[in-house]
Amino acid sequence: MEPELAKRIVAGLSNAGVNFVSYLPETRLSQILPLMREDPSFQLAPVSSEQEAVTIAAGAVLGGKQAACYIESTGIYVSCYSLVTVGKQLGVPLLLVVGFLGGLQDQRNSFLYSTIGAYARPVLEALAIPHEVIESGDGLETKIKNAVRAANALRSPAALLFAGDFTL
Amino acid sequence: MTRRECLQMLAPLMTDHLVVTSQSGQRIEWSHLSERDGNLLLGQMGCALGVGAGLSLALPHRKVVVLESDGSVLLSLFNLPTLARLNPADLAVYVFDNGVYSGSRISEPTATGGRANLEALAKAAGIRNATTIRSARAFKRDGLAALKKKGLRFVVCKVEESLLHREIPRPTIDLAENKYKFVRYLERTEGKPIPFVGRG
Repeated sequence: MEPELAKRIVAGLSNAGVNFVSYLPETRLSQILPLMREDPSFQLAPVSSEQEAVTIAAGAVLGGKQAACYIESTGIYVSCYSLVTVGKQLGVPLLLVVGFLGGLQDQRNSFLYSTIGAYARPVLEALAIPHEVIESGDGLETKIKNAVRAANALRSPAALLFAGDFTL
Repeated sequence: MTRRECLQMLAPLMTDHLVVTSQSGQRIEWSHLSERDGNLLLGQMGCALGVGAGLSLALPHRKVVVLESDGSVLLSLFNLPTLARLNPADLAVYVFDNGVYSGSRISEPTATGGRANLEALAKAAGIRNATTIRSARAFKRDGLAALKKKGLRFVVCKVEESLLHREIPRPTIDLAENKYKFVRYLERTEGKPIPFVGRG
């Protein structure tokens, strides 16, 4: 991804009030991590599994943070249990910032990713997690703000799937 | 030593502590021993360590207590190296390890009923202050001491299997009701709003 897009994701998260990010790094959006590390408005929590990215972020939300989980789309599958038992059952707003591998718009797509990518959106739909695929920087900041507002209003996780230009 | 003996010693010491339990027998027993808005009784296993860690990271000046079971911790062992890495400022974890899945109603053994050792796993994951307690007397001395010490404490309490939690009524507080009581309690005691409540 162009460095400018990474900067805009990070600035967009900050402008939307996000101040806590649990994460398991992946390939497509990893440029945002050094930028968030340099920004003191973010508290970062590296994790070992996307399942605990959700539970740790949820605890931070209950403690007054506005939290996001930065994960790869395979992490949606790994974290289904905590998305349901904490995100949905307890009703905790979280923004999922997802590197969407294997989708139609994935510029790095291959046989390794395409099958995996095919299930990401159906799983989010099955979990009643609102989500949007973002392919370019058009309206990026507004889309991030909208997703955070929707998560807070629904008391539910909401997901932004970064594809297209973000996967270059 | 029984779990209830340990919980009975812990309950009167709770002041402004934030207590998170997983769904196991201790959730039921704790709800009878401690009726506080600072209790968050989670509905499933495998989530309390993560939620407790997140609370501690968000509120490092507060004492967070996590009440766990062996089955629940075994479900989320990846929490152990993450806890060691994040090193929350003031988090005391009590794992009531009876070596069985009591909820199975047939006392099916957990891995700790075999050769697994949660203290050793925690230490190998990088949690320095991990210990195992095997008697009520030791719990009174060393287990309660973890409440007074800062940092990350991981206390494995080897307890007998007890069926008491099956004989007492389950807590009727709804998960959402519990969440809002807990969050409102935090707003009162922290003197600031929690962003997602209200209009969101």
